Amino acid sequence: MSQIFMSTYEHLRITFEGVAIAIIVGIAVGIVISRHKAVAGVVMSVADIIQTIPSLALLAVLMMVFGLGNTPAVVALFMYSFLPIVRNTYVGITGVDKSLTEAGTGMGMTRLQLLFKVKIPIAMPIIFSGIRVAVVTALGVATIGVFIGSGGLGNFIYRGVQMGDVKMILWGAIPLSILAIGFDVLLEQGEKRMVKSRARRI
Amino acid sequence: MRKILKIISVSLILAISLALLAGCGGSQEKKIVIGSKNFTENMVLGEIFAQVIQDKTDLKVEYKENLGGTMVCFEAIKKGDLDIYPEYTGTGLTAHLKMDVINDADRVYDIVQEEFNKQFKIKWLKPLGFNNTYAVAVKEDYAKENNITKVSELVPLAKDLTFGGEHEFFDRQDGYEGMIETYGLNFKSAPAKMDVALKYQAISQGKMDVTDAFATDGQLITYKLTILEDDKNFFPPYYAAPIVRNDTLEKYPELEEVLNSLAGKISDEEMQMMNYKVESEKKAIRDVARDFLTEKGLLSK
Repeated sequence: MSQIFMSTYEHLRITFEGVAIAIIVGIAVGIVISRHKAVAGVVMSVADIIQTIPSLALLAVLMMVFGLGNTPAVVALFMYSFLPIVRNTYVGITGVDKSLTEAGTGMGMTRLQLLFKVKIPIAMPIIFSGIRVAVVTALGVATIGVFIGSGGLGNFIYRGVQMGDVKMILWGAIPLSILAIGFDVLLEQGEKRMVKSRARRI
Repeated sequence: MRKILKIISVSLILAISLALLAGCGGSQEKKIVIGSKNFTENMVLGEIFAQVIQDKTDLKVEYKENLGGTMVCFEAIKKGDLDIYPEYTGTGLTAHLKMDVINDADRVYDIVQEEFNKQFKIKWLKPLGFNNTYAVAVKEDYAKENNITKVSELVPLAKDLTFGGEHEFFDRQDGYEGMIETYGLNFKSAPAKMDVALKYQAISQGKMDVTDAFATDGQLITYKLTILEDDKNFFPPYYAAPIVRNDTLEKYPELEEVLNSLAGKISDEEMQMMNYKVESEKKAIRDVARDFLTEKGLLSK
Protein backbone atom coordinates (compact mmCIF):
# COMPACT_ATOMS: atom_id res chain seq x y z
CA MET A 1 0.00 0.00 0.00
CA SER A 2 2.69 2.47 1.02
CA GLN A 3 4.40 1.58 -2.23
CA ILE A 4 1.38 2.88 -4.14
CA PHE A 5 1.51 6.17 -2.25
CA MET A 6 5.23 6.50 -2.88
CA SER A 7 4.75 5.79 -6.56
CA THR A 8 1.84 8.20 -6.80
CA TYR A 9 3.89 10.90 -5.13
CA GLU A 10 6.83 10.18 -7.42
CA HIS A 11 4.53 10.23 -10.43
CA LEU A 12 3.11 13.61 -9.46
CA ARG A 13 6.55 15.02 -8.80
CA ILE A 14 7.90 14.05 -12.20
CA THR A 15 4.77 15.34 -13.91
CA PHE A 16 4.79 18.69 -12.13
CA GLU A 17 8.49 19.26 -12.60
CA GLY A 18 8.14 18.69 -16.33
CA VAL A 19 4.99 20.76 -16.68
CA ALA A 20 6.30 23.57 -14.44
CA ILE A 21 9.33 24.05 -16.66
CA ALA A 22 7.07 23.89 -19.71
CA ILE A 23 4.78 26.55 -18.23
CA ILE A 24 7.65 28.95 -17.61
CA VAL A 25 9.42 28.37 -20.90
CA GLY A 26 6.23 27.88 -22.92
CA ILE A 27 4.53 31.09 -21.82
CA ALA A 28 7.72 33.10 -22.23
CA VAL A 29 8.33 31.73 -25.71
CA GLY A 30 4.65 32.16 -26.61
CA ILE A 31 4.78 35.84 -25.66
CA VAL A 32 7.97 36.45 -27.61
CA ILE A 33 6.78 34.76 -30.78
CA SER A 34 3.44 36.57 -30.68
CA ARG A 35 5.44 39.62 -31.83
CA HIS A 36 7.42 37.82 -34.51
CA LYS A 37 5.20 35.95 -36.92
CA ALA A 38 8.10 34.44 -38.88
CA VAL A 39 9.74 32.93 -35.81
CA ALA A 40 6.36 31.72 -34.61
CA GLY A 41 6.00 29.41 -37.61
CA VAL A 42 9.38 27.83 -36.98
CA VAL A 43 8.87 27.37 -33.22
CA MET A 44 5.43 25.88 -33.75
CA SER A 45 6.68 23.43 -36.37
CA VAL A 46 9.52 22.30 -34.13
CA ALA A 47 7.11 21.80 -31.23
CA ASP A 48 4.78 19.91 -33.57
CA ILE A 49 7.57 17.62 -34.69
CA ILE A 50 8.62 16.90 -31.10
CA GLN A 51 5.03 15.96 -30.34
CA THR A 52 5.09 13.29 -33.06
CA ILE A 53 8.27 11.56 -31.83
CA PRO A 54 7.22 8.29 -30.21
CA SER A 55 7.75 8.69 -26.50
CA LEU A 56 9.89 5.55 -26.24
CA ALA A 57 12.29 6.78 -28.90
CA LEU A 58 12.51 10.19 -27.27
CA LEU A 59 13.27 8.60 -23.91
CA ALA A 60 15.95 6.40 -25.41
CA VAL A 61 17.72 9.44 -26.85
CA LEU A 62 17.30 11.49 -23.70
CA MET A 63 18.70 8.64 -21.65
CA MET A 64 21.97 8.79 -23.57
CA VAL A 65 22.29 12.47 -22.69
CA PHE A 66 20.86 12.66 -19.19
CA GLY A 67 21.43 9.14 -17.90
CA LEU A 68 18.99 7.04 -15.94
CA GLY A 69 16.37 8.13 -13.49
CA ASN A 70 13.99 11.05 -13.20
CA THR A 71 15.90 13.70 -15.12
CA PRO A 72 15.33 12.33 -18.66
CA ALA A 73 11.69 11.66 -17.80
CA VAL A 74 11.22 15.25 -16.64
CA VAL A 75 12.89 16.53 -19.80
CA ALA A 76 10.63 14.35 -21.97
CA LEU A 77 7.54 15.59 -20.14
CA PHE A 78 8.71 19.15 -20.60
CA MET A 79 9.06 18.56 -24.34
CA TYR A 80 5.60 17.06 -24.63
CA SER A 81 3.95 19.75 -22.49
CA PHE A 82 5.66 22.55 -24.35
CA LEU A 83 3.50 22.50 -27.50
CA PRO A 84 0.02 22.92 -25.98
CA ILE A 85 1.24 25.71 -23.73
CA VAL A 86 3.23 27.64 -26.32
CA ARG A 87 0.48 27.30 -28.91
CA ASN A 88 -2.29 28.42 -26.59
CA THR A 89 -0.22 31.35 -25.35
CA TYR A 90 0.48 32.40 -28.92
CA VAL A 91 -3.11 31.98 -30.08
CA GLY A 92 -4.45 33.66 -26.95
CA ILE A 93 -2.26 36.72 -27.24
CA THR A 94 -2.49 37.22 -30.98
CA GLY A 95 -6.23 36.66 -30.76
CA VAL A 96 -6.83 39.65 -28.48
CA ASP A 97 -9.29 42.02 -30.10
CA LYS A 98 -7.49 44.84 -31.99
CA SER A 99 -9.88 47.45 -30.61
CA LEU A 100 -8.81 46.59 -27.06
CA THR A 101 -5.08 46.92 -27.71
CA GLU A 102 -5.69 50.10 -29.62
CA ALA A 103 -7.71 51.46 -26.76
CA GLY A 104 -4.82 50.60 -24.47
CA THR A 105 -2.33 52.36 -26.70
CA GLY A 106 -4.68 55.29 -26.90
CA MET A 107 -4.65 55.50 -23.12
CA GLY A 108 -0.90 55.86 -23.27
CA MET A 109 0.05 52.36 -22.11
CA THR A 110 3.59 51.22 -22.73
CA ARG A 111 4.19 47.95 -24.53
CA LEU A 112 4.82 46.11 -21.28
CA GLN A 113 1.75 47.57 -19.66
CA LEU A 114 -0.26 46.56 -22.69
CA LEU A 115 1.09 43.04 -22.40
CA PHE A 116 0.53 42.57 -18.68
CA LYS A 117 -2.61 44.67 -18.20
CA VAL A 118 -4.49 43.81 -21.38
CA LYS A 119 -3.16 40.95 -23.48
CA ILE A 120 -2.17 38.37 -20.86
CA PRO A 121 -5.27 38.77 -18.69
CA ILE A 122 -7.50 38.38 -21.74
CA ALA A 123 -5.52 35.43 -23.05
CA MET A 124 -5.31 33.76 -19.63
CA PRO A 125 -8.26 31.34 -20.01
CA ILE A 126 -6.83 30.07 -23.30
CA ILE A 127 -3.32 29.72 -21.84
CA PHE A 128 -4.85 27.94 -18.89
CA SER A 129 -6.64 25.43 -21.08
CA GLY A 130 -3.26 24.71 -22.70
CA ILE A 131 -1.84 24.00 -19.27
CA ARG A 132 -4.75 21.69 -18.57
CA VAL A 133 -4.08 19.68 -21.72
CA ALA A 134 -0.39 19.58 -20.83
CA VAL A 135 -0.96 18.32 -17.29
CA VAL A 136 -3.33 15.54 -18.30
CA THR A 137 -1.10 14.41 -21.17
CA ALA A 138 1.98 14.51 -18.96
CA LEU A 139 0.34 12.36 -16.29
CA GLY A 140 -0.16 9.69 -18.94
CA VAL A 141 3.25 10.00 -20.56
CA ALA A 142 4.98 9.79 -17.18
CA THR A 143 4.05 6.11 -16.97
CA ILE A 144 6.63 5.17 -19.59
CA GLY A 145 9.40 6.68 -17.48
CA VAL A 146 9.67 3.17 -16.05
CA PHE A 147 11.78 2.18 -19.06
CA ILE A 148 14.62 4.38 -17.93
CA GLY A 149 14.26 3.74 -14.23
CA SER A 150 12.29 6.76 -13.13
CA GLY A 151 9.70 6.17 -10.44
CA GLY A 152 5.97 6.48 -10.80
CA LEU A 153 2.87 4.43 -11.33
CA GLY A 154 4.19 3.03 -14.61
CA ASN A 155 6.17 0.50 -12.56
CA PHE A 156 3.02 -1.30 -11.47
CA ILE A 157 1.44 -1.21 -14.90
CA TYR A 158 4.52 -2.44 -16.75
CA ARG A 159 5.32 -5.19 -14.27
CA GLY A 160 1.67 -6.24 -14.28
CA VAL A 161 1.65 -6.55 -18.05
CA GLN A 162 4.88 -8.58 -17.97
CA MET A 163 3.51 -11.02 -15.44
CA GLY A 164 -0.06 -11.09 -16.76
CA ASP A 165 -1.12 -9.85 -13.32
CA VAL A 166 -4.28 -7.79 -13.74
CA LYS A 167 -4.39 -6.82 -10.08
CA MET A 168 -0.98 -5.25 -10.30
CA ILE A 169 -1.93 -3.36 -13.47
CA LEU A 170 -4.92 -1.93 -11.63
CA TRP A 171 -2.77 -0.83 -8.68
CA GLY A 172 -1.09 1.48 -11.12
CA ALA A 173 -3.96 2.28 -13.43
CA ILE A 174 -6.60 3.21 -10.87
CA PRO A 175 -4.60 5.87 -8.99
CA LEU A 176 -3.44 7.18 -12.35
CA SER A 177 -6.99 7.51 -13.67
CA ILE A 178 -8.07 9.23 -10.47
CA LEU A 179 -5.22 11.70 -10.82
CA ALA A 180 -5.91 12.39 -14.49
CA ILE A 181 -9.66 12.85 -14.04
CA GLY A 182 -9.18 14.80 -10.82
CA PHE A 183 -6.76 17.28 -12.33
CA ASP A 184 -8.86 17.62 -15.45
CA VAL A 185 -11.94 18.53 -13.41
CA LEU A 186 -9.99 20.80 -11.09
CA LEU A 187 -8.33 22.71 -13.89
CA GLU A 188 -11.58 22.90 -15.81
CA GLN A 189 -13.14 24.64 -12.83
CA GLY A 190 -10.24 27.07 -12.76
CA GLU A 191 -10.68 27.73 -16.43
CA LYS A 192 -14.40 28.40 -16.05
CA ARG A 193 -13.80 30.82 -13.23
CA MET A 194 -11.33 32.73 -15.30
CA VAL A 195 -13.73 33.06 -18.17
CA LYS A 196 -16.32 34.37 -15.73
CA SER A 197 -13.99 36.86 -14.11
CA ARG A 198 -12.88 38.05 -17.50
CA ALA A 199 -16.48 38.52 -18.55
CA ARG A 200 -17.09 40.58 -15.45
CA ARG A 201 -14.10 42.81 -16.06
CA ILE A 202 -14.81 43.35 -19.68
CA MET B 1 -8.16 36.78 -11.56
CA ARG B 2 -5.46 37.98 -9.15
CA LYS B 3 -6.20 35.03 -6.93
CA ILE B 4 -5.78 32.49 -9.69
CA LEU B 5 -2.51 34.05 -10.80
CA LYS B 6 -1.36 33.87 -7.22
CA ILE B 7 -2.33 30.21 -6.96
CA ILE B 8 -0.49 29.41 -10.16
CA SER B 9 2.66 31.22 -9.12
CA VAL B 10 2.66 29.62 -5.68
CA SER B 11 2.28 26.13 -7.12
CA LEU B 12 5.02 26.88 -9.64
CA ILE B 13 7.39 27.96 -6.91
CA LEU B 14 6.50 24.86 -4.94
CA ALA B 15 7.15 22.58 -7.90
CA ILE B 16 10.48 24.20 -8.66
CA SER B 17 11.69 24.08 -5.09
CA LEU B 18 10.68 20.43 -4.98
CA ALA B 19 12.73 19.84 -8.09
CA LEU B 20 15.73 21.57 -6.56
CA LEU B 21 15.37 19.66 -3.31
CA ALA B 22 15.30 16.40 -5.21
CA GLY B 23 18.45 17.41 -7.02
CA CYS B 24 20.36 17.98 -3.81
CA GLY B 25 19.38 14.63 -2.33
CA GLY B 26 22.12 12.29 -3.52
CA SER B 27 25.45 13.03 -1.91
CA GLN B 28 28.48 11.17 -3.21
CA GLU B 29 29.02 8.66 -0.43
CA LYS B 30 30.00 5.03 -0.92
CA LYS B 31 27.22 3.95 -3.19
CA ILE B 32 26.87 1.63 -6.15
CA VAL B 33 24.01 1.29 -8.59
CA ILE B 34 22.80 -2.08 -9.82
CA GLY B 35 20.49 -2.41 -12.80
CA SER B 36 18.43 -5.14 -14.39
CA LYS B 37 16.63 -5.75 -17.66
CA ASN B 38 12.91 -6.02 -18.15
CA PHE B 39 12.26 -9.66 -17.39
CA THR B 40 11.85 -11.67 -14.23
CA GLU B 41 15.09 -13.64 -14.30
CA ASN B 42 17.26 -10.59 -14.74
CA MET B 43 15.42 -8.79 -11.96
CA VAL B 44 15.90 -11.74 -9.61
CA LEU B 45 19.63 -11.77 -10.38
CA GLY B 46 19.95 -8.02 -9.81
CA GLU B 47 18.22 -8.46 -6.47
CA ILE B 48 20.58 -11.31 -5.56
CA PHE B 49 23.59 -9.12 -6.35
CA ALA B 50 22.14 -6.29 -4.30
CA GLN B 51 21.47 -8.46 -1.26
CA VAL B 52 24.87 -10.12 -1.32
CA ILE B 53 26.66 -6.80 -1.62
CA GLN B 54 24.60 -5.26 1.15
CA ASP B 55 25.31 -8.27 3.32
CA LYS B 56 29.05 -8.50 2.82
CA THR B 57 30.18 -4.91 2.33
CA ASP B 58 29.31 -1.56 3.85
CA LEU B 59 28.43 -0.10 0.45
CA LYS B 60 25.07 1.51 -0.10
CA VAL B 61 23.23 -0.18 -2.95
CA GLU B 62 20.70 1.43 -5.20
CA TYR B 63 18.78 -1.05 -7.34
CA LYS B 64 17.15 0.13 -10.56
CA GLU B 65 15.15 -2.86 -11.67
CA ASN B 66 13.11 -3.48 -14.77
CA LEU B 67 14.91 -1.03 -17.06
CA GLY B 68 13.69 -0.98 -20.67
CA GLY B 69 15.81 -3.84 -22.01
CA THR B 70 19.33 -4.84 -22.96
CA MET B 71 20.27 -1.64 -24.76
CA VAL B 72 19.12 0.62 -21.92
CA CYS B 73 21.20 -1.32 -19.39
CA PHE B 74 24.20 -1.44 -21.64
CA GLU B 75 24.15 2.28 -22.50
CA ALA B 76 23.69 3.07 -18.81
CA ILE B 77 26.64 1.00 -17.65
CA LYS B 78 28.87 2.45 -20.38
CA LYS B 79 27.86 5.94 -19.30
CA GLY B 80 28.41 5.18 -15.62
CA ASP B 81 24.80 5.41 -14.49
CA LEU B 82 24.95 1.75 -13.58
CA ASP B 83 27.89 -0.01 -11.96
CA ILE B 84 26.68 -3.57 -12.28
CA TYR B 85 24.01 -5.57 -14.08
CA PRO B 86 23.49 -9.24 -14.99
CA GLU B 87 24.34 -9.99 -18.62
CA TYR B 88 24.46 -13.13 -20.75
CA THR B 89 27.59 -14.20 -22.64
CA GLY B 90 25.70 -14.82 -25.88
CA THR B 91 24.07 -11.39 -25.69
CA GLY B 92 27.43 -9.78 -25.05
CA LEU B 93 28.86 -11.48 -28.11
CA THR B 94 26.09 -10.91 -30.63
CA ALA B 95 24.27 -7.79 -29.41
CA HIS B 96 27.10 -5.69 -27.94
CA LEU B 97 30.16 -6.87 -29.85
CA LYS B 98 28.14 -7.55 -33.02
CA MET B 99 30.03 -10.77 -33.65
CA ASP B 100 28.77 -14.01 -35.16
CA VAL B 101 27.37 -16.80 -33.07
CA ILE B 102 29.92 -19.18 -31.51
CA ASN B 103 28.87 -22.40 -29.83
CA ASP B 104 31.82 -23.06 -27.56
CA ALA B 105 30.85 -21.66 -24.14
CA ASP B 106 34.38 -21.08 -22.86
CA ARG B 107 35.49 -19.34 -26.01
CA VAL B 108 32.47 -17.03 -25.91
CA TYR B 109 33.28 -16.13 -22.31
CA ASP B 110 36.93 -15.48 -23.12
CA ILE B 111 36.02 -13.27 -26.06
CA VAL B 112 33.48 -11.12 -24.20
CA GLN B 113 35.83 -10.90 -21.23
CA GLU B 114 38.67 -9.59 -23.35
CA GLU B 115 36.71 -7.38 -25.74
CA PHE B 116 34.55 -5.75 -23.07
CA ASN B 117 37.65 -4.86 -21.13
CA LYS B 118 39.29 -3.38 -24.23
CA GLN B 119 36.32 -1.64 -25.81
CA PHE B 120 34.11 -0.63 -22.91
CA LYS B 121 36.26 -0.88 -19.73
CA ILE B 122 33.78 -3.35 -18.29
CA LYS B 123 34.68 -6.57 -16.53
CA TRP B 124 32.84 -9.88 -16.73
CA LEU B 125 32.92 -11.59 -13.38
CA LYS B 126 32.55 -15.36 -13.05
CA PRO B 127 29.41 -16.96 -14.55
CA LEU B 128 26.65 -17.82 -12.10
CA GLY B 129 26.26 -21.34 -13.43
CA PHE B 130 23.09 -21.60 -15.48
CA ASN B 131 22.74 -21.28 -19.23
CA ASN B 132 19.63 -19.42 -20.33
CA THR B 133 19.89 -20.39 -23.96
CA TYR B 134 17.18 -21.09 -26.47
CA ALA B 135 15.78 -24.58 -26.30
CA VAL B 136 13.18 -26.69 -28.04
CA ALA B 137 10.19 -27.60 -25.89
CA VAL B 138 7.29 -30.03 -26.26
CA LYS B 139 4.54 -31.09 -23.88
CA GLU B 140 5.69 -33.41 -21.15
CA ASP B 141 3.03 -35.99 -22.08
CA TYR B 142 4.07 -35.99 -25.70
CA ALA B 143 7.72 -36.52 -24.84
CA LYS B 144 6.82 -39.46 -22.59
CA GLU B 145 4.45 -41.09 -25.06
CA ASN B 146 7.00 -40.98 -27.84
CA ASN B 147 9.94 -41.53 -25.58
CA ILE B 148 12.01 -38.63 -26.85
CA THR B 149 14.59 -36.59 -24.98
CA LYS B 150 16.67 -35.09 -27.77
CA VAL B 151 15.92 -32.70 -30.62
CA SER B 152 17.28 -35.13 -33.21
CA GLU B 153 14.71 -37.69 -32.11
CA LEU B 154 12.06 -35.22 -33.20
CA VAL B 155 13.14 -35.46 -36.85
CA PRO B 156 11.14 -38.56 -37.87
CA LEU B 157 8.05 -37.25 -36.05
CA ALA B 158 8.23 -33.70 -37.39
CA LYS B 159 6.02 -34.27 -40.44
CA ASP B 160 2.97 -34.48 -38.13
CA LEU B 161 3.91 -31.54 -35.93
CA THR B 162 3.53 -27.77 -36.11
CA PHE B 163 6.09 -25.37 -34.77
CA GLY B 164 5.32 -21.97 -33.28
CA GLY B 165 7.37 -19.30 -31.54
CA GLU B 166 7.74 -15.60 -30.87
CA HIS B 167 8.64 -13.29 -33.73
CA GLU B 168 12.20 -12.71 -32.60
CA PHE B 169 13.09 -16.39 -32.88
CA PHE B 170 12.51 -16.23 -36.62
CA ASP B 171 14.76 -13.21 -37.13
CA ARG B 172 17.80 -14.38 -35.23
CA GLN B 173 20.97 -16.01 -36.42
CA ASP B 174 20.54 -18.60 -33.71
CA GLY B 175 16.84 -19.04 -34.47
CA TYR B 176 14.42 -21.03 -36.56
CA GLU B 177 16.15 -21.27 -39.95
CA GLY B 178 19.44 -22.38 -38.47
CA MET B 179 17.70 -24.88 -36.22
CA ILE B 180 15.70 -26.71 -38.92
CA GLU B 181 18.74 -26.72 -41.18
CA THR B 182 21.09 -28.11 -38.55
CA TYR B 183 18.70 -30.86 -37.53
CA GLY B 184 17.00 -31.43 -40.88
CA LEU B 185 13.60 -30.84 -39.36
CA ASN B 186 10.59 -30.77 -41.71
CA PHE B 187 7.48 -29.62 -39.90
CA LYS B 188 3.94 -30.18 -41.17
CA SER B 189 3.30 -26.58 -42.07
CA ALA B 190 4.84 -23.14 -42.03
CA PRO B 191 5.63 -22.05 -38.47
CA ALA B 192 3.17 -19.96 -36.45
CA LYS B 193 4.59 -16.65 -35.30
CA MET B 194 3.08 -14.99 -32.26
CA ASP B 195 3.71 -12.80 -29.26
CA VAL B 196 5.96 -14.33 -26.63
CA ALA B 197 3.25 -14.10 -23.98
CA LEU B 198 0.89 -16.29 -26.02
CA LYS B 199 3.18 -19.08 -27.05
CA TYR B 200 2.91 -21.27 -23.96
CA GLN B 201 -0.85 -20.97 -23.92
CA ALA B 202 -0.96 -21.96 -27.58
CA ILE B 203 1.08 -25.11 -27.03
CA SER B 204 -0.80 -26.12 -23.88
CA GLN B 205 -4.09 -25.76 -25.73
CA GLY B 206 -2.80 -27.99 -28.50
CA LYS B 207 -2.74 -25.26 -31.16
CA MET B 208 0.84 -26.23 -31.91
CA ASP B 209 3.17 -29.01 -30.82
CA VAL B 210 6.71 -27.68 -30.65
CA THR B 211 8.00 -24.29 -29.57
CA ASP B 212 11.21 -22.52 -28.75
CA ALA B 213 11.75 -21.66 -25.11
CA PHE B 214 14.32 -20.17 -22.79
CA ALA B 215 15.97 -22.92 -20.86
CA THR B 216 15.31 -21.32 -17.47
CA ASP B 217 11.78 -20.18 -18.19
CA GLY B 218 9.51 -20.60 -15.16
CA GLN B 219 6.49 -21.04 -17.39
CA LEU B 220 7.84 -24.37 -18.61
CA ILE B 221 6.81 -25.67 -15.19
CA THR B 222 3.43 -23.93 -15.23
CA TYR B 223 2.48 -25.36 -18.61
CA LYS B 224 4.09 -28.78 -18.10
CA LEU B 225 6.57 -28.61 -20.94
CA THR B 226 9.79 -30.52 -21.39
CA ILE B 227 12.99 -29.29 -22.95
CA LEU B 228 14.63 -31.54 -25.54
CA GLU B 229 18.37 -31.80 -25.40
CA ASP B 230 20.17 -29.78 -28.06
CA ASP B 231 22.31 -32.79 -29.05
CA LYS B 232 23.85 -31.14 -32.09
CA ASN B 233 24.89 -28.16 -30.00
CA PHE B 234 23.15 -25.66 -32.25
CA PHE B 235 22.08 -23.03 -29.71
CA PRO B 236 24.88 -20.77 -28.54
CA PRO B 237 25.63 -20.40 -24.83
CA TYR B 238 23.91 -17.71 -22.78
CA TYR B 239 25.64 -18.03 -19.43
CA ALA B 240 24.69 -15.27 -17.00
CA ALA B 241 27.34 -13.33 -15.14
CA PRO B 242 27.62 -9.99 -13.35
CA ILE B 243 29.31 -7.32 -15.43
CA VAL B 244 30.93 -4.42 -13.60
CA ARG B 245 32.58 -1.18 -14.62
CA ASN B 246 36.36 -1.29 -14.25
CA ASP B 247 36.50 2.00 -12.37
CA THR B 248 33.90 0.75 -9.89
CA LEU B 249 36.11 -2.26 -9.21
CA GLU B 250 39.11 0.01 -8.70
CA LYS B 251 37.17 2.05 -6.17
CA TYR B 252 35.63 -0.94 -4.39
CA PRO B 253 37.85 -3.96 -5.12
CA GLU B 254 35.95 -6.03 -2.54
CA LEU B 255 33.04 -6.25 -5.00
CA GLU B 256 34.84 -8.77 -7.17
CA GLU B 257 35.25 -11.33 -4.43
CA VAL B 258 31.74 -10.79 -3.11
CA LEU B 259 30.08 -11.27 -6.48
CA ASN B 260 32.35 -14.15 -7.40
CA SER B 261 31.09 -15.96 -4.32
CA LEU B 262 28.00 -16.55 -6.47
CA ALA B 263 30.02 -18.22 -9.24
CA GLY B 264 28.52 -21.52 -10.34
CA LYS B 265 25.97 -21.39 -7.54
CA ILE B 266 22.78 -21.25 -9.64
CA SER B 267 21.84 -24.26 -11.77
CA ASP B 268 19.38 -24.24 -14.68
CA GLU B 269 16.76 -25.88 -12.48
CA GLU B 270 17.29 -23.50 -9.58
CA MET B 271 16.97 -20.47 -11.83
CA GLN B 272 13.88 -21.93 -13.43
CA MET B 273 12.36 -22.54 -10.02
CA MET B 274 13.01 -18.95 -8.93
CA ASN B 275 11.40 -17.64 -12.11
CA TYR B 276 8.44 -19.92 -11.50
CA LYS B 277 8.01 -18.69 -7.93
CA VAL B 278 7.89 -15.09 -9.08
CA GLU B 279 5.79 -15.54 -12.20
CA SER B 280 3.34 -18.24 -11.23
CA GLU B 281 3.27 -18.18 -7.46
CA LYS B 282 3.45 -14.36 -7.48
CA LYS B 283 6.08 -14.25 -4.75
CA ALA B 284 8.01 -11.02 -4.28
CA ILE B 285 11.37 -10.97 -6.05
CA ARG B 286 13.04 -9.77 -2.86
CA ASP B 287 11.79 -12.80 -0.90
CA VAL B 288 12.67 -15.28 -3.62
CA ALA B 289 16.21 -13.90 -3.78
CA ARG B 290 16.63 -13.90 -0.01
CA ASP B 291 15.30 -17.45 0.35
CA PHE B 292 17.71 -18.68 -2.29
CA LEU B 293 20.71 -16.97 -0.71
CA THR B 294 19.81 -18.21 2.75
CA GLU B 295 19.31 -21.74 1.52
CA LYS B 296 22.73 -21.69 -0.12
CA GLY B 297 24.34 -20.19 2.97
CA LEU B 298 25.53 -17.16 1.03
CA LEU B 299 24.42 -14.58 3.56
CA SER B 300 26.36 -14.00 6.73
CA LYS B 301 23.83 -11.96 8.67
